[in-house]
Amino acid sequence: MKEDKSMKKSRDSIDMQIKELETKIVSLENNWKRAVADYKNLEKRTAEEKTNYMHFTKSQVIKEFLPFFDNLERLENHTNDEGLKLVIKDLKNTLKNMGVEEVDALGKDFDHNTMEAMELKKGEKNKVLEIYQKGYLLNGNLLRPAKVVVGQE
Amino acid sequence: MSKIIGIDLGTTNSCMSVMEGGSAKVIPNAEGSNTTPSIVVPDQNIVGIPAKRQQVVNPKNTVFSIKRLVGRRYDDPDIQKVKDSYPYEIVEGKNGLACVEVEGKVYTPQEISAKILSKMKADAEAFLGEKVTKAIITVPAYFNDSQRTATKEAGQIAGFEVDRIINEPTASSLAYGLDKKKNEKIVVYDLGGGTFDVSILEIGDGVFEVKATNGDTYLGGDDFDQKVINWLLEEFKKENGVDISKDRQAMQRLKDAAEKAKIELSSTMETEINIPFITADSSGPKHLNIKLTRSKLEQLVDELIQRTIPPMENALKDSGLKKEDIDEIVLVGGMTRMPKVTQTVKDFFGKEPNKSINPDEVVALGAGIQGGVLSGDVKDVLLLDVTPLTLGIETLGGVSTPLINRNTTIPTQKSQVFSTAADNQTSVEINVLQGEREMAADNKSLGRFMLDGIAPAPRGLPQIEVTFDIDASGILNVTAKDKATGKEQKITIQGGTGLSKEEVEKMVKESELHADEDKKKKEEVETRNIADGLCYTAEKSLKDAGDKVPEDVKKDIEEKVKSIRDGLQTDSNDVLKQKTQELSSALQKIGEHLYKQSGPESTNSSAENKDGSEDQKKDSEEDKNDPVEGEIVE
Repeated sequence: MKEDKSMKKSRDSIDMQIKELETKIVSLENNWKRAVADYKNLEKRTAEEKTNYMHFTKSQVIKEFLPFFDNLERLENHTNDEGLKLVIKDLKNTLKNMGVEEVDALGKDFDHNTMEAMELKKGEKNKVLEIYQKGYLLNGNLLRPAKVVVGQE
Repeated sequence: MSKIIGIDLGTTNSCMSVMEGGSAKVIPNAEGSNTTPSIVVPDQNIVGIPAKRQQVVNPKNTVFSIKRLVGRRYDDPDIQKVKDSYPYEIVEGKNGLACVEVEGKVYTPQEISAKILSKMKADAEAFLGEKVTKAIITVPAYFNDSQRTATKEAGQIAGFEVDRIINEPTASSLAYGLDKKKNEKIVVYDLGGGTFDVSILEIGDGVFEVKATNGDTYLGGDDFDQKVINWLLEEFKKENGVDISKDRQAMQRLKDAAEKAKIELSSTMETEINIPFITADSSGPKHLNIKLTRSKLEQLVDELIQRTIPPMENALKDSGLKKEDIDEIVLVGGMTRMPKVTQTVKDFFGKEPNKSINPDEVVALGAGIQGGVLSGDVKDVLLLDVTPLTLGIETLGGVSTPLINRNTTIPTQKSQVFSTAADNQTSVEINVLQGEREMAADNKSLGRFMLDGIAPAPRGLPQIEVTFDIDASGILNVTAKDKATGKEQKITIQGGTGLSKEEVEKMVKESELHADEDKKKKEEVETRNIADGLCYTAEKSLKDAGDKVPEDVKKDIEEKVKSIRDGLQTDSNDVLKQKTQELSSALQKIGEHLYKQSGPESTNSSAENKDGSEDQKKDSEEDKNDPVEGEIVE
């Protein structure tokens, strides 16, 4: 009788231990699966990121150089130098070949996807009246919004 | 289980993160930025950058800083104060709460916030490639119940199950892992784009308690920019006699340049602000070209930085603590990148603040970590340790060749193939090293063992694969295996990485200190190894070619080999390099003669290849597949 009790007791404790271990296995398995899944997803994203990377680097470099282009164009407004005109023409061509395209803004409806409104002036409602700074797209993606003046009645 | 993302729903910008592989990562938005402007055009559902771009055109319908309205009553004095200065309409809504009215429709602040959260949710789902339903959202520590409830509602409207609303300073502390501390007092100094908050927290048993908060709701980076702009305007006027403050286009360029200069001066002492063709008058175009030094910038914004001191004093007073009681300081917000701001906080508390995490992202990262804790991601994954020091073996000439670099996450395994350094060498000794120095003698030897029974062969031919394997508990197993015979030998190093933090730091510092001289020493050894290797190749080539090589060429090469051998230990690095170069060109003559006589032969081309692979090794050290020469024994 007494032995039975102690045997039952030890069986109970073993049962408990089994249950404990089972829960532990479930949780470990879950964590392990999640870690593997995380890794798989990371792999996929890394591959995707790699393809985006070239594009990103290109756009960063072009973006950094746009202000120089802006200033050359500003210079063009103040001088009548034939050589400068050629330089700008060449530069424009190179940019075009690289997939850079100017945001067509002047006279168009204001579009918050490609333009940034800087000021309102009297004029046709919601039309771009002036361009402060040209905007550019690279292969259809926005590099820099055009900074524009928008008309207001 | 779905991921729980952490969201820092800010007054001017919002940011989100998720726990991945044991650490929190910021999720970029669809436009590719890590932060999203908290600006909404509710009737057209435009959120973020595009909303900001059209703000000027559509000021009455563009809602910004909605966080200042969340959960507040319309008659709240703060609301009354901002009501008339905001271009959009603030109205009294249901139950006397402050709401906004756009195009005749009344929106609660939670509905506006929900639009920001919805965009973030959609961007997170696109980024993670899975549905996201759960979120942790942060709020300022001073938010009351109704503000917290409203924030939670905003999350629910956006389709989130809001697991928890946590305090921003708590999130920042979590990002720095301060929840593991016991009974510490933490100050969080948050100087962002538009608001300044200081909070004092006490941590006990992983629970954060807010002891006091203070701040200035209208102080931030924009004020700093304005100071720089004003100064530039004055300087330009002094120099050119032209006031450009009314010229909107010029002002826009000035504003961009001022912000750029401010950011640059956090890492440089001086910057030049260049704005060509900023304006023109009858005399022609005018350019702005002004130097701004860091100390001038600090002088300009000193008044603003000083304004952050009384809130710190008040918060301390309210918490009943003294400066000396503070254990940790955490810096949050873009403006804390400014060295003068950091210095001011440091001087005030007499303690170095925590600032290693990007201050624009730290709140979101902390929220992401909290999300990870709740989903059970953190506890188990965070146990992954890194090797504190580089592990490698000793190779020819006493060089330490690394196999596992420091800070590699364990468990990990890495193999590299080595070879013998002498002909008919039948055993190699593997000396397992730990440390950052270039020479074996300067590093710590963890253990050595011999691999013998290598079949006699010319040097460089046997392939001995050395494998380092560290398990999750840091036990290092090093195995050396002769690929030809399959014979292997191993050593187990228990707790090989179990150095104290101080010891590790000391070793890393020493390696930095000796970096230059170590590099030189290693270069010398490498030069000698290459010279020695080339002599060996030369002799072998001569032997293989036999009498196909004219006597004068043979003699020239033999002399050159002797000259290198004689000076191997005594010549300077440059002399030895020169001699090696000469021998290398002389060797080409062997090939020339052989091709002239009978076309290529297999034995010769293999010798030439050996030479080529040596050069390759010199060029790209990462190319671990090349056999590297092992240490000679006996």
